[in-house]
Parts: sequence; structure tokens; C-alpha cells
Amino acid sequence: MLDVADLVTAYGKIEALKGVSLRVESGRITCLLGPNGAGKTTLMMTIAGILQPRRGTVRLDGQELTGLTPARIVAQGVALVPENRLVFPQMSVHENLLAGAYQRRGRGEIASDVERMYARFPRLQERRAQLAGTLSGGEQQMLAVARALMSRPRVLLMDEPSLGLAPLVVAEIFRIVGELNRDGTTIFLVEQNAHMALQVAHHFYLMEQGRVTFSGTPGELAEDEVVQRAYLGARRAAG
Amino acid sequence: MIDFLQNTIDGVMTGASYALLALGFTLIFGVMRRLNLSYGPSIMVGAYLGTLAHLHLAAGPLGVAAVTVAGAVLAGLYVERLCFAPMAAGAGIAAMVSSFAIWMQLEQAAILVLPRHTYPFPPLASATAWLGPFLLRLDQLIMLASALVLALGVQALLYGTRFGLALRAIIGNPTAAHLVGIDVRRATVLAFALASAVGGVAGFLVLASDAQVTPMFGMWATMKGLIAMMIGGLGSIPGALVGGLLLGVVEAQSQWYLGPQLRDLAAYVLLFACLVWRPGGLFGAAPVRDLARGRSL
Repeated sequence: MLDVADLVTAYGKIEALKGVSLRVESGRITCLLGPNGAGKTTLMMTIAGILQPRRGTVRLDGQELTGLTPARIVAQGVALVPENRLVFPQMSVHENLLAGAYQRRGRGEIASDVERMYARFPRLQERRAQLAGTLSGGEQQMLAVARALMSRPRVLLMDEPSLGLAPLVVAEIFRIVGELNRDGTTIFLVEQNAHMALQVAHHFYLMEQGRVTFSGTPGELAEDEVVQRAYLGARRAAG
Repeated sequence: MIDFLQNTIDGVMTGASYALLALGFTLIFGVMRRLNLSYGPSIMVGAYLGTLAHLHLAAGPLGVAAVTVAGAVLAGLYVERLCFAPMAAGAGIAAMVSSFAIWMQLEQAAILVLPRHTYPFPPLASATAWLGPFLLRLDQLIMLASALVLALGVQALLYGTRFGLALRAIIGNPTAAHLVGIDVRRATVLAFALASAVGGVAGFLVLASDAQVTPMFGMWATMKGLIAMMIGGLGSIPGALVGGLLLGVVEAQSQWYLGPQLRDLAAYVLLFACLVWRPGGLFGAAPVRDLARGRSL
């Protein structure tokens, strides 16, 4: 569905992505693991059109996204839940959701989608008139997800939704990720929390220093010795 | 007491023009987090076009107003293209300094191109009326009404329309605004044009009441708008209104009681006191240090 081929993105002379190729299958959860500085966020920002690649292509169902503005990419059906959520702090929860539907016409449909979001995220309904900047981290994450869904994306990109959240809240976020996927949303997830990701994702990529170094199923990932030591074992030893 | 009240009335009237200037300033600052020092000079360009339309094409007050506003918008878009668009992701200070360069460019161009520097500007309405012991000027009442209507209008635009939602999203977080599908570049240019149009209205009303325009008008407009905006609070619309009116009243009172030499000093003392006691301005939307802060995309 979403095809990334030989993508190179650079900040000045430093290449953060050194030819990344991967594929997100329709209807599944694909997860990208990797340490800090591997280029995961750069990849997400490049797919969303915030950063321009130096080389390579991004395609959605064969349609070229590379070179489009972020607004055009949203129109094509790609929505990113950015790292650190980036809600609009001085706008109410409700207005944040309306902003998510910025490109859509049809007030009736938008209103019913807002109600659907409130049904899925009851906490947001309780706080609908509250300024988004006053929400807790977990609530802001839910708002960022709901805001992205308001554009009715074909692919939902999520950049480290668990970042900085308490374990119980992380579990709640991953429950929602699984639920969204069961309802038919294709998800491309960036994570550092390999244990949580293993519970929901169907396919894994591992990225290190701007390159994809592993591609496989959850089973293969769990068995891979390097991955074990670096991600699963290391966490176990640390925690 | 009568003097004090008459001064207050005069100050509110003059302050209305400061408020209009601050309104355009604050709109640009709010959306872009950028200070446009060429704001006044672009209004000056519009004003010269307006007065030329009056002298050579016999344009009436409405025609002069339309030409002034259109000229200010065109000059504003020129400034945006040169100083702000190329610096979209860079430091705010670079855009500010380049807008200073364009200020000098526009001012010198006006001095070189126009043989007589001071041009008459067609007055709008010179009628006066007595309200009890107080003297009111019709053109100044129009100015006050315009300031109130435009401030309410801009506020309604920001909080009641889809375009306003886009602008507030950009103010909140430009990256996230991109991600929800807002054409940030287009919205920013439109906001700039809108701010320049508000400035054009301010310029027309001030100059119609002065009945003349000089190349120094650009500097005057930038300084008054900037001070009023900083007193009221950067990026705040009620702040622009209150800051402008307060500045006008303080100037009028100090001119009467302290003399014209100390009038500008009083204005800067007011600004200084404001920055010491409330660094964010009275309606403190953003701290003044944001002026120089860069904004990452």
C-alpha cells in the first residue's frame, strides 16, 4: 500500500536516511523499531512531506507522494500523529478535532465523525471545551490520534505514541492502536518500546543509522539474536 | 478637569490610529512570530499612490482609500516575498533585519522618486462638533469607529471562520498545521495581505486627518504601531486596541501637562514601565523575547 524506495533525506551534509526502502501492507500494523538517532522521525517527516528527500520515492497505492506539499499528502490519505503529539495548545479539544478535518467539506459528516471520536475516546468528550494544552500527556496523545483520524486517512502514521507516558497509559494507547486496526485502519508505527509493539504489530522493520537492517514477522523478530540482545534482552536487563 | 477630559478624548482619537497600526502588526506577529519593520513604509507606499491618484486622476475619498489599501497590500506582499518567505524556517532575527533593509529601501525610493517630498493628502471630513464643553472632530470619530469595527472583525475572523481556524492552528504549532492539511504558506500570505490592508486603512485615516504625507510617515507608523503592540501584548487583538488607546491618551496628557518635547519621552516611559512590570504586555499573548526567537518548521 505505502511503498518507500531508496529514500535519502539529509540535513545539510549529514544524511539521516541513507537509502531506506520498506513497505506498509494494507490493513496491517507495520512497526519500525530503532534506537534514538536512527532516522525514524526523519522518515516519518519525509513521508508526510514536512522534509524533502534528496533521492528516492514514496508511493501510496502506486501514486507518487514525493514532492507534494504536506497538505496535498493529507489529501491523498496519509495522516501523521507526530512525535510529542503537537496538539494546538490554545485551541479547545473540539477545535483540534475540527482542524483535523480541515480539508474536508460537509459539516454533517464532519460532525458525525467528531461524535465517533468522542465515542472512541470518552475522555476527550469529557474535556471537549478544555484547551488542549491543559490536557495530560495521555489525553494529548489520544487527541493527536483522533485529530489525525478526522482526515479519514488510508494510512495512519504514528511516531512514538508511547513517548513519555506512564505504563498504564501506554497500554491504553496500544489497545487503541489494535482496535483501530481491527476496524480496518492501516497503521505504520514507529516505536522504541519493542515489547508493547510485539503485541500488536504484524510486521517489523529495524532501522539503524539511517538504514533498514532487519525485516520480518514478530516471530522472526523475537528469534533474531541481534535484536534480542539490543532490544528485548537489553530492556529486560535494564528493567 | 475639562482640560483633562478633552485631552483624554483627543488621546483616544489619536490612539485609535495607533490601535489600527498595532492591529496589523500583531496579526503578522501572531501568525509568523516575525517582526515586520517594513510595515509602516509599505503603508507609506500605499499612501503616496493614494495621493497621486487624487492629484492626477481626481480620485475621491473612497477612491484614495481603495488605492492606499491596495498599494499597502502590494507593498506588503513585496516585503513578505523578500524578507519572510525565504526565511520561513530560519531565525526570526534574520527576517527582522531584512525587513529593516526594505524599510530603508522604500523610504529612500520615496525620497528619490517624488520631487516634492511633502504631498497634500485629501482630507476625509473636516467637520467638528461640540459635545457640551468638548470639541469632537468627525474624521477622528470615523477613525475610532474604524478601529473598533476592524478589531471586532479580525477577532470574528479568527474565531468564527475556517480561515481563522487555520491561522490559529499555525499560531499554535506550524508543523502540526502542515500535518492536518493546512496550506501554511498560502494562509500566511493571506494573513500578511490582511494585515497590510488593515495598515492601509490606518494610513488613509491618519493622513486624511493630517492632510499631508511625507516619506517619514513610514517610520512614524512602524514606531507607533510597534509601541502600541508591545504595550498591549504581542499577538493579542484586544491588546492592540487597548495598547493603542492607552498610548494615545498618555501622549495627549503629557503633551498638555509636560509640553510637546516630553510627549515622546512619556510614550517610551510607558513602554518601559510596561516591559518591566508585564514583559508580555497588558494582554500578554507572548513574551517579548519571542521577537528574536527563531521558529523551526
